[in-house]
Amino acid sequence: MAPSATTTGVYVYGVVRADELPAVSADGVGDSAVEVLERDGLAAIVSRLPDDFRVKRRDLNRHLQVLEEAFGETTVVPCAFGTVLASEADVETALLSQRRPELEAALDRLDGTVQLNVKAAYEPDELLRELVAKNPDVARLREDSIRLGDAGYPQRVRLGELVAGLLDERREEDAARILATLSGVAEDVAVDDPGEYDALKASFLVDRKQLDRFDARLEEVARSLQPVVRAEVIGPLPPTAFAGAAAAQ
Amino acid sequence: MAIATRGTSSNYLQRAPSPSGLADVLDVILDKGLVIDAFVRVSVIGIEVLTIDARIVIASVDTYLRFAEAVNRLDLSQTETAGIDELRNGGSKGERKAKGALEGAKEKIPGMSSDKERSR
Repeated sequence: MAPSATTTGVYVYGVVRADELPAVSADGVGDSAVEVLERDGLAAIVSRLPDDFRVKRRDLNRHLQVLEEAFGETTVVPCAFGTVLASEADVETALLSQRRPELEAALDRLDGTVQLNVKAAYEPDELLRELVAKNPDVARLREDSIRLGDAGYPQRVRLGELVAGLLDERREEDAARILATLSGVAEDVAVDDPGEYDALKASFLVDRKQLDRFDARLEEVARSLQPVVRAEVIGPLPPTAFAGAAAAQ
Repeated sequence: MAIATRGTSSNYLQRAPSPSGLADVLDVILDKGLVIDAFVRVSVIGIEVLTIDARIVIASVDTYLRFAEAVNRLDLSQTETAGIDELRNGGSKGERKAKGALEGAKEKIPGMSSDKERSR
């Protein structure tokens, strides 16, 4: 494949087995075509980037779409968004050939699995209402700061500090409970930083055969934590959070 | 390709097959994936999207004041605490029960914004 004279680089979406090449119809990043480069039984899903390439927001969606299409047909070891190699030769030799053992190990590890992104978020008013109801200190400081108005600044700071501490404790308990419930039916879990009003934000690597059990347990724990917690699950997703770990094994 | 769902999403659990919204997409693909050595990698394309407000929660007075504000704005009419409020000072800023406009204005706490922005 003769490289284009105007190519800036080769954008890599992920790696698959060469004998299971997926048909990807989505446009690639920068409106470029999605192609495949093969070497030694492995294949990289790539796009050749034009010289004037500048990332746009829609390229994020393109990257994900390409991964999702490939993932729909075969096992993929995804690359992070924005992975660019100097040339096709680099993709074939430095990536596919030289890192073949890791890539094969990763593919084996990820076979038959999907990623589910779970977020358990607090309904702020529900949570705060519960904190007020269960903590006399909070209730008292609330009354004081309302009554004092502007003069109640120290009370407001103290109230907020107290609430922040209680929220931290609550988050720890809820996160532990959710993880304990779900880890038993997952191959792996990667925990992210939660937002201020989140209990937990994590990716789970789940064997397809366990999906129903995972969903049932998630449903159960979410129901037990309502209405203070509202949970969301996104997936099945290509295993982006586990590609590095899978390759390292 | 959605996972087998037990009926539709409920109040306490929402299911989506794919991320919608920039934040959810970033969660999936940004800094998540196979790591390629600097030796072979020419560049990771920098993107302006990182200017999106990715809140890092740092304990600070501002954080405490925001929590206090949120607590003070609560409508507690469904709980016992509301009863105590009503007896003492006519209730929180959020309550509207049987209160004349003048009375409400007097109790209004200056400087409290109506900003209900939540961190993600």
